[in-house]
Formats: sequence, C-alpha cells, structure tokens
Amino acid sequence: MNRFYRIPRQWLVLLLCWTSLGVYAQEEVKLAPVTRTYAITNVNIIQGPGRKVDMGTVIIRNGIIQNVGKNLAIPADAVVIKADSMYVYAGFIDGYSRVGVTKPKEEPNRERPKDPGNPEPAQAGITPQNDVRASLNPADKTVEDLRALGFTTAQVVPYGGMLPGSAAIVQLGGNSANDMVLVGNSAFYSELTPAQRVYPNTVIGVMSKYRELYRQASQAKAYESLYASNRAGLERPVSDKILEAFYPVIDKRVAVLFKAERNLDINRVILLQKDLGFNVVLGDVKEGWDMINKVKASNAKVFLSLDLPEVVKEEKKDDKKEESKKPVDAEKEALEKRKAEAVAQYTAQASVFQKAGVTFGFSTASAKTKDIPANLRRMIAAGLTEDQALAALTTTPAQWLGIADRVGTVDNGKLANLVITDKPYFNEKSKVRYVFVDGVLHKYEVKEEKKADAKNGNGKKADPNGKWSYTTETPQGNSTGVIKIKNDGGNYSGTITNSMSGQETELNSIVVDGNSLTFTFGFNAGGGTMTIEVSLTIDGNDFEGTMSVGSFGSFPMKGSKDPNQ
Amino acid sequence: MKKIIITLLILASVSLVQAQVERGNVLIKGGTVLTVTKGTLENTDVLVRDGKISQIGKGIAAPSGFRVIDAAGMFVMPGIIDAHSHAGIDAINEATAPVTAEVFTGDAVNPFQVGLYRALAGGVTSIHAMHGSANAIGGECETLKLRYGVKDPEAMKMEGAPRTIKFALGENPTRVHGSGNGIVPRTRMGVEFVIREAFSQGKAYMEAWDAYNKAKVQKGFRGTPPAYNKRLETMADILRGNIIIHCHSYRADEIYMLLNVCKDFGIKRLVFQHVNEGFKVAPELAAYGAGASVFSDWWAYKFEVYYSTAYNAAILTKNGVTTSINSDDGELMRHLYHEAGKTQKYGQLTDDEALALITINPAKQLGIDSRVGSIEVGKEADIAIFKNHPLSVYTIPMITIVDGIVRFDREKDADDQRIYVDPKQTIDVTLHTSTGHDHESCMQGAVYETAKLFGFNLLEK
Repeated sequence: MNRFYRIPRQWLVLLLCWTSLGVYAQEEVKLAPVTRTYAITNVNIIQGPGRKVDMGTVIIRNGIIQNVGKNLAIPADAVVIKADSMYVYAGFIDGYSRVGVTKPKEEPNRERPKDPGNPEPAQAGITPQNDVRASLNPADKTVEDLRALGFTTAQVVPYGGMLPGSAAIVQLGGNSANDMVLVGNSAFYSELTPAQRVYPNTVIGVMSKYRELYRQASQAKAYESLYASNRAGLERPVSDKILEAFYPVIDKRVAVLFKAERNLDINRVILLQKDLGFNVVLGDVKEGWDMINKVKASNAKVFLSLDLPEVVKEEKKDDKKEESKKPVDAEKEALEKRKAEAVAQYTAQASVFQKAGVTFGFSTASAKTKDIPANLRRMIAAGLTEDQALAALTTTPAQWLGIADRVGTVDNGKLANLVITDKPYFNEKSKVRYVFVDGVLHKYEVKEEKKADAKNGNGKKADPNGKWSYTTETPQGNSTGVIKIKNDGGNYSGTITNSMSGQETELNSIVVDGNSLTFTFGFNAGGGTMTIEVSLTIDGNDFEGTMSVGSFGSFPMKGSKDPNQ
Repeated sequence: MKKIIITLLILASVSLVQAQVERGNVLIKGGTVLTVTKGTLENTDVLVRDGKISQIGKGIAAPSGFRVIDAAGMFVMPGIIDAHSHAGIDAINEATAPVTAEVFTGDAVNPFQVGLYRALAGGVTSIHAMHGSANAIGGECETLKLRYGVKDPEAMKMEGAPRTIKFALGENPTRVHGSGNGIVPRTRMGVEFVIREAFSQGKAYMEAWDAYNKAKVQKGFRGTPPAYNKRLETMADILRGNIIIHCHSYRADEIYMLLNVCKDFGIKRLVFQHVNEGFKVAPELAAYGAGASVFSDWWAYKFEVYYSTAYNAAILTKNGVTTSINSDDGELMRHLYHEAGKTQKYGQLTDDEALALITINPAKQLGIDSRVGSIEVGKEADIAIFKNHPLSVYTIPMITIVDGIVRFDREKDADDQRIYVDPKQTIDVTLHTSTGHDHESCMQGAVYETAKLFGFNLLEK
C-alpha cells in the first residue's frame, strides 16, 4: 500500500485523527473519504481510442477529472496513486443490462387464469409505466462484479415481460439508488417475450399486441392534442398510463431499446420498427452478422453482446487410427467442424460489424461477468482492433446514450470514471488495480499467481508414468485391474487389463494436462466395439475419476500407483 | 405533379422495404415437361430468364451465362405447393383466446429450419405457413417460397401473395377453450356463435370507421374516432374481401354451417382444410365456389375424423371443387407426389388431374395461380425435376428450382445443409428413437400447453 500512496505528512496526522474519530463516532456508517482529490502519476493515459499520453498525470477533484497531462503540479491535498507504468482508461460503459437492478421475487402464480385471452396488463407483461429507478440497489453484488472489470456506467432496464418499463443510465457506485442515476427514462425498454399462460402467449401475439398498443397510443395522443387545442364539443379523453408511456417514443424523444439476440429477433424488431416508425436500439445482439444491411437501413443503434459461445475443444487426433475411422466418426468430425465454424462466426461478429461500417457498443446483459475480458480478447483475436474495442466500451456508448459530455474519455471536466490496469487492458495478463466511479476509489488487491505446476497436491506436475491398479464401481459390482502408462518423450501409450478377463486392451487418446489424465479404450461388447472414456485426476500416487460407458452411464473409478514400478 | 412525386416516393419506399428476391437464369434441356395446364410435352426445353419462364420449346440454345440442366429422360413439373403447412414459422398457435384474428404467422418466419430444405428435396417450392387450429378464428397465415439458403426471413415470404387467415371448427377449438378454459365455445354451436359474433363486431367496427372517415372530411367536424382494435380491423378486412379464409374442418354439417355463415356475411373467398367429409357436401362446395384441401388417406386420429375415404379428393374433383392435397406435416410434405398418386388408385384421376392437386389447385386456393402452379411462359420459374414420372412409386426428386435458382440438387448438395449451427449443441452419437407418428402439428403448442397447465390428458388424439 505504501508503495502507491504518497500522503503528505501534514495530512497523515489528520488522517489518523479522522479515522479514529470516525470509528468512535459511528461504527456502522461508511466513512466519507479523507479527500476527494487524487493524483494518478506516472501513468500511461489512454484518453480515448487512439489518444495516448505516455507517463502523464491525471488529477481528480470532487468527482471530476480536473487535469490530464504531463508534468502537472500535484495538489497539496491529493492522495497520490503512483501508477508507475500502469494504464488508465475512461471507465467502461455497458449499453444494456440489469446490473444493480433488484430481481423481483418470483411469485409462482399457479392459479388457473379464468379467461387467458383477457389478462390484466401486468399479467401479460405490459407495464411500460414502470421505471427501473424504483428497483436500483448500489449494494447489489452485480454492481461490484462488473465494476471490478472496469465498468463504471451502465444503461439498466427493469425486469418484466414484453414491456417492462423505462431504462435508466446509472453509475456503478454510490450509496443510494438516487446516487446511481445519471439519466432517468433513457429508453423505452421492450422484449419479444411472451406472457406465461395468458395472451400474448407467443411471439406472434406479442408483435400483434405491440402494434395495437402503439397505434392506440398514437391515436390517444393525437386526440389529446386535439382536445387540448379546442375542447368544445369533444368527449373528455380517458387517461391511460400504459398508452401515455408510449408518448415520448411516438415523439421520438426516447428510443425503444429492444432485446434482440438472435438473427430472427433482429428481423422481428425491425419489422415492428418499420410498421410503427420508432427510433430503435438493438440490445445484446449475438447473431447479427447476416442482418447488417437491415440494421443499417433501420438506423438502429446496436449493442453487441459480450456473451460468446464456448470455444470448441479440439480433440487430439490419433493418426494411427485414421485408416480404421468409422463412417460415424467422420460424420461426428464434420458436425464438430461446423460447430467450431459457428462459434467462430459469433466471435467475429464485432469485427464484421466494424468492417461493414456499423459502429456499436457492448452490452453485458447475458454475459457471464467473469468471461467478459476473455471474450473481448477473443473478439480482438478475430479481427477487431483494440482501439475499436475501446471505442465500443467508451466513446460510442457515451455518444449514443447522450452522455458524451460527461463520460467516455479521460478529459478535463468529465466525471472521474476511470479504470487503471497494470498492463494494457486487453492483455491477457492485465489486472484491474483501481477503478474510480464518480471520483470514488475502488482498489483491487492482486493475488500472487500460482505457478502452473502448483496445481498438483505435492507441487509437482502429475506423473502418470507407471503401473496403476484400479477399481471401478458398477451396478454389477466392483471390478479391478491394472493400467500401465508409458511416457515416451511426451507421447503416452498404455494398456488396461481387467483382472477378471485378463484381457489386455490398448489405450487411445491419452492426454495429460496438469494433474488430469484422460484416455479411451475399446470394449468388445458382442458384435460391436464400444468406446469407453476415462477421466481421472491424479493426486500424487492416487487417482480418482469416472469411466463413461456410452449410454450405460458413467461410473466412479479410483486407484493407486504400484510403488514397485 | 405533386401526386406523382408522392406516388413515386411511396413506390420507392415500398421497394426498399421488400427484401430483394434472388432470380436466376437457367435452361432445362430435353425433359418431359408436365405443364399440368397445357398438357405434356416430350423432349422439350424450358428457358428461365430472370426467374421467370421465358420460353418453352424444342432446341432452345442456351444464352451465355445460363446454367444448363440436362433433363433428358427426366420429368419436369411445376414446383409442388403445400396449401397446409406449419413449417418455416416459430409460433403456430396463440391458443389463449377463441378469436385471435390479429396475429400473423408472417411475424415469426424462420428460414433456417432444415425441414424446409427437406421439403425442397420433395419437389415443394411454396408452402402455406398457417396458424394452428386451437382457435375458432386463429391468425393470418403467410405464403412462403422455399428460397432455402436465404438468411433474411422476409426473403422467404412470397411477395405480393394474398392475405389468408386460419379458421377452425369442431373438436380443437371446443377442447382448448370450452373444455380447457371453460369459456365459449364448448360445442359446435358455440363455434358458430363465436364466428358470427366476431364478424358482427368486425362489421360494426368497419361501419363505425367508415362513418367517422366520411364525417371527418366535413367542414367543422368535431368528434371522437372509434378506438383502434387490431382484431376487429382484421375481421373487417375479411368482410371487405381482402383475406381468404382457410378453415380447418372435418364434418359435413359444420362445413355446411360455415358456408351459411359466409353467405350471411357476403364472404366469397373460402377454402376448407382437411375436409374429410367433404365428399358428402361436394356439390354444395362447388356451388359456393369454395375450395377443399384434403389429405389423401389420413384419418381416425380423433373422433370427428373417422368418417373418411381415400376417394375424397377424387369425388371433390369430379364434382368441380377446386381440390388440393396437403401435408400439415413435415414428413408428408416430402412426398406429396405420392399422395397425389394415390388418387389414381382411389378414383382413377388422370395424370393432370392428380398433379393439379399439388400444383395449380393449391395455387388457386392461395390466390397465386397467376404466378405459379403450372409451367407456362410468363410464370415464375418454380420447377421440380424428377427421375421417373412423379406419380410413379419409383420417382426420385432430383432438382428443385425456385425463381430460377436451384435450391435443391440431389447430386451436388452437401450432406449438412443447415444454415445456422447451434454453437452450444452437444454432438453425441445417438441411437434413433421414434416417439411414434405425431399427428396434427395444427395443435402444436395448444395441446401441450393446455395439458401441461391444466392437467388435462389432451395429448391423446
């Protein structure tokens, strides 16, 4: 800690007083910081995409970036963060998610709907009058988790059905719901999600209802203005909070933020948009690469999903067995290949959008938080440049959300939303060290990385070499035998012998990874050969794991090394 | 002048909205051309230019850049049209209310279903992607062209095809709403009432709007417009003659009932679907001008479908009813040519009569017969090429063409014709397990949902 903080001596005294006083006075209450002035020194400042200041200083005062540059005077009241050779970026902006939004307790309504065709609006998921600001919680764990990745701002939406309510742009910090809010009513949030058990119960029902509500709202709005201009002889318009919620959308003062993950969702949202004419933002797009021209034509703003499908693990090929490959293996291989190609398409989506000249932001709505940095790196490996990724995390969403004057770059006068990392953010080994939200500092301790071979219990890489005796438990009783494995310069070979039959069978696809050992072997089951897959974890001279026998299931297997070998 | 500019602008925006249809150039050489409407032409060439049939004759030279298909010894027929399908859409039944005229299957088109390719592999080029039969009045349906390979759902839609809507009589709507939810209709009488009530409301709605629109242009008009209602708007469009009714039905009495209802409301465009007892009211159907789209020999899957005969299509045809044979099923859709062939065993229909059941007649029922359904100059080049006569049990579909583009080629296509692959799927070697033949995708969604929710055992047929 001392390494990074250079606190002027006169402040140290004061600091001590403050702390002790604070502790005596109010134990439970969070303390106000000693100072709201910080100087981040000797840091690589990435002010924005393509704008870099080497070894400069960023000065923050009262939640605002006061100065950015080289050779700046450090204010006397500043806490100095010696960010030597670190990197500072503008805090990232999540275009669409539910971070910090309290999930309503699901009330399992098992009551049989009396007339499913005419439900109450709320039961049908029609609550556009709701506001996400009513369910914000800065202490929600999602806030802390996303902030730890460098996100400082997010556009968040309420939970619900087809029309959950209005979105808000929030800061990922603060002590109260009100502290969080940067902009209220930032978007009219919509989904194509059908209602449960009642109308609209299908996507065609949802789309039809959406059109009807929108047109009814347009009609009601037009009548209200007619009535306002001259009331004589006109019936009084009836107030309807659901239809009134559409008015800002009809006026194009607020855009519709639509969840649109799949290709087909995007098409359906654009169908509605063409029919009704609202301004649209597509949220959490995962499968949009074939829809780019449509997206362009619709003038939609796009938040691409930071969720990606998992990488297909490549199976190690056994060249010796190539000739005896069965047709079913070839088919399986072809299917795996197509699956891998599909994963690659998802991963390349961002760069395909970029190349097509469609700018985009990112959304974390359905991404696993811990996967986000790796997913960004995968997108970059698939052709997105680091600057483009940074723009999608900062400047583009700032502009689209109408907050570019306050966030998105490291510039004088902007909110002190910053992320500081020890290596460039998109480097695999990069760690977030500090995050500022509204000038409030959040620190992250870096754990010492374990050595790779420390995985094993006794500090060594597992050594499968040798003779092992094993036991498996199957419904037919326990079975025992011997496994012999030979390491020939990294190439493993081996056999398995069942003590009942005495039959020795060769092992295939032996893979040793850290302390895990996997292999397969063939089992002659009357007429056909069945492949048995074994997956074991070695701990010193013992192993434990499972043996999978096709559709018969998998059974526990354990064993130990013969000490004489 | 201003008007012209506005019209041009509207036209321009319409063409922008519509998906670009890919059209091909191809010469099909030397096949036996089964035109269906203009007889059979031996050893004849069909020239397709820009997606349309431009010339039919002998010894046509291939213009440069045209793909040439050697069809010598093969049979060239119009692409098969399935007037009753639920393929290519992600939602079938909005089964929550007895009348859901406002919903539209065209909102849920899914061009990635591999079943569409399998249909192409059975010579099918167009399908009527229908709403299900859970409701007395279901939703509007979409006519699709099987341009399999396109990634834009809008490009699957047959641009400019007339609007159609699904109605349903008998056991399905009474079971879902009457037995399931305890609301009208619980009986066949109830179904008639629901339909008549919906038409009456639609009529009142239409009249209210007509009156308002007329009054609105009067000077000094002050008044309130009728409240917009999408369901009644659709009912009004049926009354205006803008939508063709396709009604799921089995029994003669209820078929006759709907004829009377339509007569009362002045509705002329009407096609009955399934129509297993159609043979009992064939003269009445013919007199009304109503169509019938039937199964060749599929029945007895529930009580109202026991009184059936394989002669149904032939009897209807001989009585002058525009008749088609449909699939309502992903598997049956792949061999509609066999289904049509059965009418030669049961009813001795001629080749042209049998082929008309799966080409020009369904085209008429969908209102697209001026564009597809036969091999004629000027029509869209939706063509299926078979080895052996398509009505023979030995026939093999070889090539299927939509708008002049080869969409299925038995010899050249890859094994895996999926367009999108689920990146999360697990690939296991699995044994094929059959869950039995599952009838009536019509009730997909509705039966399962209702059974699940209310604990009724509705899964039996």
